[in-house]
Amino acid sequence: MTCEELRHEYGAFALASAEDPERAEILAHLHRHCPECVAGVRSAVATVAAMSGAVKIADPPKHLRKRLVAMVSPVPSRRRFAVWFPWAVAAVLALVLLSVSIPARFRNPNNTATAQARFDEVLSILKDPVTKDVAFGDPTVRGRFFVSSNKGVVFIAAHLPKLDAGRTFEMWLIPASGKPVPAGTFDALGDSTAVYVRPGPVVNVAAMAISVEPAGGSAQPTTTPIVVSKL
Amino acid sequence: MADLYDRFGRLAYSVILSVVRDPSTAEDLVQETFLRVWNRAHAFEAGRGALGPWLLTIARNRAIDHIRSVGSRMQKNSYEFDASEHPSLFVDMERDVFNTDHARIIRKALAKLTENQQKVIELAYYQGLSQTEMAEQMGQPLGTIKTWVRAALKVLRGELGQGTGA
Repeated sequence: MTCEELRHEYGAFALASAEDPERAEILAHLHRHCPECVAGVRSAVATVAAMSGAVKIADPPKHLRKRLVAMVSPVPSRRRFAVWFPWAVAAVLALVLLSVSIPARFRNPNNTATAQARFDEVLSILKDPVTKDVAFGDPTVRGRFFVSSNKGVVFIAAHLPKLDAGRTFEMWLIPASGKPVPAGTFDALGDSTAVYVRPGPVVNVAAMAISVEPAGGSAQPTTTPIVVSKL
Repeated sequence: MADLYDRFGRLAYSVILSVVRDPSTAEDLVQETFLRVWNRAHAFEAGRGALGPWLLTIARNRAIDHIRSVGSRMQKNSYEFDASEHPSLFVDMERDVFNTDHARIIRKALAKLTENQQKVIELAYYQGLSQTEMAEQMGQPLGTIKTWVRAALKVLRGELGQGTGA
């Protein structure tokens, strides 16, 4: 489509109300730095941004400022350090020493992935400022999910149940609505611990779960999950 | 980050809350907004870029993305949002748009819209509806909705002194 055909949709695009094919065409024009579309969208974005001046002002809770400042502080607080450090060390050691589970579709087919690459992968998830650290624990299974919407999930657990032959653990990404999405299978080590990494973006996920499934995994959970953690 | 939050935290929270209407969710999205800005600050031209409009665009995008995801109404359009909040779009933009005068001007401008124009702006800005969804909700042809959206933005642009455009 030409710029002339698209110019009437710049406003809807800035409002995020435009739809294909116009939306896709504007994106394509912006992608190739089309001067007319860049100028038109810029003008529309300015108008939409200005509308924020009309919203009813509400005071955010005071702890929000502290939380944000702490997240970008170059010197971690004692609490954050105390919470994160042992788990980071545990995850990295497990990666290097115990050969962490990586879902098959993310494995290098030539098996050339090095311990350093795995190390970096886990650290990138742990270091991501938006990573959520969700602990779980009951009299049996204990552990944590580290969930980065950008990078992926690191799962660390101890006291996992012993499985019968032909059974495996499977991770699930549970959306706010809709069916659980399979996130790969893994096995526990001999001491009933496991470190499992599911790389890749994690979007629209409200909870994480682990269930016991037939070897090879299931398309949907076939047993009651042994772990469910809300994010 | 403290300075950034002190300047825009209240307004960003207000924008997000006006869309998601849940304080707890708004907190999470404010956090996501400021971290996004923080992590992309290197791409922003401090001398020429309009930080406030950029940050508030990101804030609203996060809120719209959230309500669409929760409602499973539309596919997540992260690429679209990335495009509409690209720092290059905010170069040489009017920066001082969030003072008391501006609030008065934008409210006055919104009051000049017809009832239908106000409705489509409200549905788009606060509820994140697509033009097709607006057409369904208002029982009007898509072409009529598009005309109202276009006309509304033209009026607002004129009232805000942002010149003419599409």
